[in-house]
Amino acid sequence: MRLWVRLTWVELKLFVREPVSVVFTFAFPLVVLVVLFGVFGDRPSSAFGFARPDDYYLASYMAVVIAAVSLIALPVHVATYRERGVMRRLRASSVPAVTLLSAQVLVSLLLVATGAGVLVAAGLTAYDASLPVDRADAVLGFAIASLSFLAVGFLLGHLARTARAAQAIGMLAFLPMWLLSGAGPPEDLLSDGLQRVAELLPLTYAVRAVREPWLGHGSDTTALAVLTLMLVAAGGLATRRVRQL
Amino acid sequence: MTVIEVDGLHKRYGNVLAVDDVSFRVEAGEIFGILGPNGAGKTTTVECLQGLRRPDAGRLRVLRLDPTTHQHEVRRRIGSQLQDSALPDRLKVWEALDLFSSISRRGPAWRDLLATWDLDGVADRSFASLSGGQRQRLFVALALVNDPEVVFLDELTQGLDPGARRMAWDLIREIRDRGVTVVLVTHYMDEVEALCDRVAVIDHGRVRALGTPRQLVESAHSEVTVTFTCHEDVAWLASTRFVDTVHQTDGTVVVIGPGPVVPLVAAALVERGIVPEDMAVRRASLEDVYLDLIDRPAYSPEDR
Ligand SMILES: Nc1ncnc2c1ncn2[C@@H]1O[C@H](COP(=O)(O)OP(=O)(O)O)[C@@H](O)[C@H]1O
Ligand SMILES: [Mg+2]
Repeated sequence: MRLWVRLTWVELKLFVREPVSVVFTFAFPLVVLVVLFGVFGDRPSSAFGFARPDDYYLASYMAVVIAAVSLIALPVHVATYRERGVMRRLRASSVPAVTLLSAQVLVSLLLVATGAGVLVAAGLTAYDASLPVDRADAVLGFAIASLSFLAVGFLLGHLARTARAAQAIGMLAFLPMWLLSGAGPPEDLLSDGLQRVAELLPLTYAVRAVREPWLGHGSDTTALAVLTLMLVAAGGLATRRVRQL
Repeated sequence: MTVIEVDGLHKRYGNVLAVDDVSFRVEAGEIFGILGPNGAGKTTTVECLQGLRRPDAGRLRVLRLDPTTHQHEVRRRIGSQLQDSALPDRLKVWEALDLFSSISRRGPAWRDLLATWDLDGVADRSFASLSGGQRQRLFVALALVNDPEVVFLDELTQGLDPGARRMAWDLIREIRDRGVTVVLVTHYMDEVEALCDRVAVIDHGRVRALGTPRQLVESAHSEVTVTFTCHEDVAWLASTRFVDTVHQTDGTVVVIGPGPVVPLVAAALVERGIVPEDMAVRRASLEDVYLDLIDRPAYSPEDR
């Protein structure tokens, strides 16, 4: 327990010392969101399914924070540990794999929650955005999206050969998903081809899992099902990979 | 007391036979060297002993425990510095010591370790900013954080400049002086000569020689080389007792044979009125022995 607390604390400090992670988790979503608030305002619009654009984007950016932590911060961190033999060193000192894993999951969740909190605070105070309509369902969507994306992040970190590769793959996954998942232009403005591409992107489902209940349309069960499937698949593969080490 | 026993260790990675029947014993309180070129199977051997890899065959005992089945007990009582294992760049020295000392209940307070290993001045520095020598001191401190009975040091001095290597040697002697048994993995001969009580020379996964550095030199190369300058033909030296070979080129004479050859050759020369001024005698060094041992092709047909 003493070890677990120390490990969690160290993990948290290491994260905060990594500029790329901090920028993508806190600054990037906030800056883009502020720009979008400025461009689209708060008048309900048909392009957003007659929702207010500020609510629409605030809800969508919850998922962008999840993706930033899971695809940019976490894989590099995990891959660095592997590449530099930190995991082996911990194992040689009898630190159980679950202790490290649970510390990393907790820290990641904490970051996701903090990043999301920053956006909500900004949206509610500096702008006129509103809290979710179906609060419990929005939180559920957020939780499932977080877990399933973190599982993908761990898997990526364990599969990538080097930390640099993990960073490149993470960025490559993050940027197009961010633009096409509903966090960029509203889905209705995308061409048919791009809409079809968007349907294949996991982030689209994370966005919907949070945004639909947020805007009062109830839970998006398809999105929740896709995310759960992703959680089981990626989580299973990542666990198997860790056991092999 | 025997601290480590290895009997018939085998380990294969796919079709690479990394360790092919290695056996040795390490006694309490000694610095035991495992010497061999890169790829010899040294790291694999010590990682099996630390329960980090599962051997394919063989009997291993560390502090009378089987490291494969009693990983946790063994790891609690050993200290470890792994080859190619670093710390996160942005982790601070005191954080590393604090973290690793929270793993076990045994061992000194990490603040004491800071002082012991002269890390006080860099406690707040990040791992990435440390010099090679400071990193080694940190690794040694981390290896001793749980007050172990045996420490495994795998290529501790790799990549250090000569000054830092000498300091690392002092650290290793200091560990032994605290009563800790040291298993020192290295590919440097001078390190073994300077530090080790006994050494196993490993190549291609096999033990080529085992004993004190002195024993290795004596057993492998009992012959000496006598060199001097002489412009007369001295081919007749070949019939002197103990002389194995005589070479003479352009006035340089090289005579090879076992130890007694030195006084006998000298006496024979003096008898004929030849008194060379530059007679030099060279005994084989550990380096010669080592190079001789590992130069043998490991998988010649007779070996199979
Ligand atoms: N994880 C691994 N997978 C495959 N081959 C390995 C692995 N680790 C080591 N080897 C191979 O096993 C042999 C022995 O390696 P190692 O024990 O690291 O030797 P040393 O420490 O003496 O340099 C080498 O040929 C190396 O390439
Ligand atoms: Mg090695």
